[in-house]
Amino acid sequence: MSAAAQLRVSGGKVYDPANGVDGQVRDVCIEGDRIVADLPAGAPRLDARGMIVMPGGVDIHAHIAGSSVNQARRLLPEAHVADPVPAPRLADGAAARSGTGGTIPSTFTTGYRYAGLGYTTAMEAAVAPLAARHAHAELDDTPIIDAGCFVLLGNDDYLLRQLAAGEPTRARDYAAWLLGVTRGYAIKIVNPGGIALWKAGGGASERDVRGIDDPVGSSSVTPRKILEALAGAANALGLPHPVHIHCNNLGRAGNVATTLASMRALAGQRAHFTHLQFHSYGGEQGKGWTSAARDVIEHVNAHPEVSVDVGQVMFGPATTVTADGPVEYLLHASTGRRWVNIDIELETGCGIVPYSYREKAAVAALQWAVGLELFLLARDPWRVVLSTDHPNGGSFLSYPQLIRLLMDRTYRDEQLKQVNQRMLAGSALLDGLAREYTLSEIAVVTRAGPARLLGLQHKGHLGAGADADVTIYSDDPDRARMFATPRHVIKAGVVVVEEGQLRRAPAGRRLAVRPEYDAAVTQDVRRFFDDYACVAFANYGAEPVA
Amino acid sequence: MSVQERSVEHVTCLGCGCACDDITVVVQQDRIAETRNACALGATWFGDGTIPRETTVNGRSASLADALVEAARILRAARRPLVYLAPDLSCEAQREAVALSDRLGALLDTVTSVAAAGVLAAQRRGRAGATLGEIRQRADVIVFWGVDPAERYPRFAARYAVEPRGLAAPRGRNSRTVIAVDVEARRGPADADARVAIAGGDEVDALGVMRATVQGRKAGDDARFRGAAELARRMSQGHYVALVADGEPGADPADPDRAEGLVTLAQALNAPTRCALVTLRGGGNRAGADAVLTWQTGFPFAVDFAPGFPTYRPHAGAAALVAAGEIDAACVIGSPASVPEPLSGGLARLPSVAIGPRASAASFRPGVAVDTGVAGIHDGGTAFRMDEIPLPLRPPLPGPPTAVGTLRSLREQLGA
Repeated sequence: MSAAAQLRVSGGKVYDPANGVDGQVRDVCIEGDRIVADLPAGAPRLDARGMIVMPGGVDIHAHIAGSSVNQARRLLPEAHVADPVPAPRLADGAAARSGTGGTIPSTFTTGYRYAGLGYTTAMEAAVAPLAARHAHAELDDTPIIDAGCFVLLGNDDYLLRQLAAGEPTRARDYAAWLLGVTRGYAIKIVNPGGIALWKAGGGASERDVRGIDDPVGSSSVTPRKILEALAGAANALGLPHPVHIHCNNLGRAGNVATTLASMRALAGQRAHFTHLQFHSYGGEQGKGWTSAARDVIEHVNAHPEVSVDVGQVMFGPATTVTADGPVEYLLHASTGRRWVNIDIELETGCGIVPYSYREKAAVAALQWAVGLELFLLARDPWRVVLSTDHPNGGSFLSYPQLIRLLMDRTYRDEQLKQVNQRMLAGSALLDGLAREYTLSEIAVVTRAGPARLLGLQHKGHLGAGADADVTIYSDDPDRARMFATPRHVIKAGVVVVEEGQLRRAPAGRRLAVRPEYDAAVTQDVRRFFDDYACVAFANYGAEPVA
Repeated sequence: MSVQERSVEHVTCLGCGCACDDITVVVQQDRIAETRNACALGATWFGDGTIPRETTVNGRSASLADALVEAARILRAARRPLVYLAPDLSCEAQREAVALSDRLGALLDTVTSVAAAGVLAAQRRGRAGATLGEIRQRADVIVFWGVDPAERYPRFAARYAVEPRGLAAPRGRNSRTVIAVDVEARRGPADADARVAIAGGDEVDALGVMRATVQGRKAGDDARFRGAAELARRMSQGHYVALVADGEPGADPADPDRAEGLVTLAQALNAPTRCALVTLRGGGNRAGADAVLTWQTGFPFAVDFAPGFPTYRPHAGAAALVAAGEIDAACVIGSPASVPEPLSGGLARLPSVAIGPRASAASFRPGVAVDTGVAGIHDGGTAFRMDEIPLPLRPPLPGPPTAVGTLRSLREQLGA
């Protein structure tokens, strides 16, 4: 075997905020799949003079693979017909795959498009444990990007039983066991307790939680208890990423109260609050909405243990897909749109409604403004990550447009004039937020920050020993165009995008954890399986069978 | 226990879409001697596990290498090839089959084409559903709409919907009300607590009346629909309702309006209560094919790669294009015995390749046949229950070449 391939990316303006590099011209050296400090003078070069060099992008929260995503894909045949994707022509005639796009592309297209956008890592943010094998199979068919799965907990009957019985230690051991057998990366909570109530049946009044102290079946089980138990578990287990939380009351006027209550409940503990935009509304259900972005982001600014991603809404087509079944029912009931609901046995739910955000719609305009306010009022970009909750707030393909909104005030103000103003009173955006993100800050919110929050020590930076995931952009003053069309993308040392063309599509790696736990818990889980489950304990999870 | 006897536990049966994974298979001298927990249908599906291991070219025995060369020649020469996925394949083999279709620019279709009405209704309207285990945990009212699961899904009632105790059904069968809807000769289970009879020609209208009743709209007072309206009121009062229908084709042609009527009734019932529609599917990992095609192409069946990318041909699938003479070669993957008529007859007039269990015995006399193992009996990998819960396969027997390996070799032969 020959020595590992070497490549010197020479002469580019490097943005590597984790290592304090802010646009200085320097070389980035790659040997094999790693960044190295230096290379011999004769090593092959990639001329990056005049270009901008960053670590590969890291998506901390997207819905790209697994049972719910695939149900949503199936619901969108016309969107797939409208966006056909021929197989890319790879170097050396290597086999590539055709596919379809839209808001939920086919798996191969998902990998190609992420790479084409300069993203080299993405986290699938909602995997039902029972269907984890499915999510991994799809990720096996999603090339190039490294990917991990967030595993859904917090509405599962076994966990809620442990909380009702006052057994937080067993709950922690269970979470650790579950992450291992599902090959998961982090613990995800969606609408703690709310999905369990939705699945419990009955009429309209009793089908979701409203506040974090509402009882879920038993009075000793509440959203607060679920949050505390799982945040505590993630921290006690030393997981690389803290508990990843989708709060109660997503998308409802006045939900700022639950969002802040959830943050306060976990004060002093590491916790990540996802798609915060969808949880930052004032007003009252039925009486109108207002922005509460300022209240929420001020709390985040003041609490260094808290991190968030924004979940920006972008105008255009979207597909809402979530484990939060009751929310999707409301969206279906209020819009009459196509609706999928799937209650997943003993664990979680799934709801899907294809959607579209229009500038002229008052709520969509408010949502758009709230997201931008969160970005522009955030004091520490390392804890406020760029996301659209793909495909819920818009496709990941809209990230470049979002970056332009953050970097270009003139453009942003023009866009603001186009949108429905009815609900924007009180929005900080309307008062005129002058801030413009710098390239270094963009590098933080799209790669360095999410990598750090995910505990991916080898990602999000270009120091020696880092994964050789590098994106090279032309320095185009139109930042949307610049970020949409990287000139070169290197993944694990392989040049996957060359002169703007996808040329190689190696398989990505799977990111997974295997925390330690007291094995006694498996005896108890096995008994629970014997009583209630419809899948053999031995067949559960996502590990290969002998 | 004799020295040659061994048993394999937690085997998943793919005899029907229930995919019961509690089967213990006892093997004696490389034959299946016993399938504990399996129903009669499952025991028949497993059989004794013996399977032909022929590889043939033009009906004569050939080496696998020669067969693959000839298969590649047939497929390369085709201007308009068809790849058809029959049952008894693992998801891994299905993934390879889609890759092959992409490489060939083929029309790719599956047995789901004959169950298309339900899939298309769900694409137009969505669906309110649940995994089978959730029905077990929750359902207090179960309505079997023109289907008795005992016939084609023998353990459905025992394992999932009716008999077992669940979180909200602590007394199992006694915690639930079972209602049979008899649509002409399509009768619900004999031991139901109540029955409603609907004339075949009234089925779609009855579903409309029921939805109107659930939504509190006026639905007239036609005596023909009084039973249906009363059933709708009863369902509205349930705590968690399961509406169970058969997704596989029966004696009558599938009516798209019927499928949509079932979908929208189940959705509407989620206003006054909770309701899930359960669509029963057959065996051999059919649900896996739908899922794999969807994730790789964006469409669940009837995918045409001819333009160089996947397009959707739900109304012009394999049977239609073969009948129209548009297809000039076919590659059937999976058990050819499960290829439905009239497609099977049409294939006899085409140059064809068959790769799958008992391919050498295919009625359409393929030019190349490679016998492979049956997914779940000889081939490992993953299969999906009818509700798309993925399950690992634990094949109790060694077999002939695997489908996935054969397809990979064929793809290499084709230079992709």
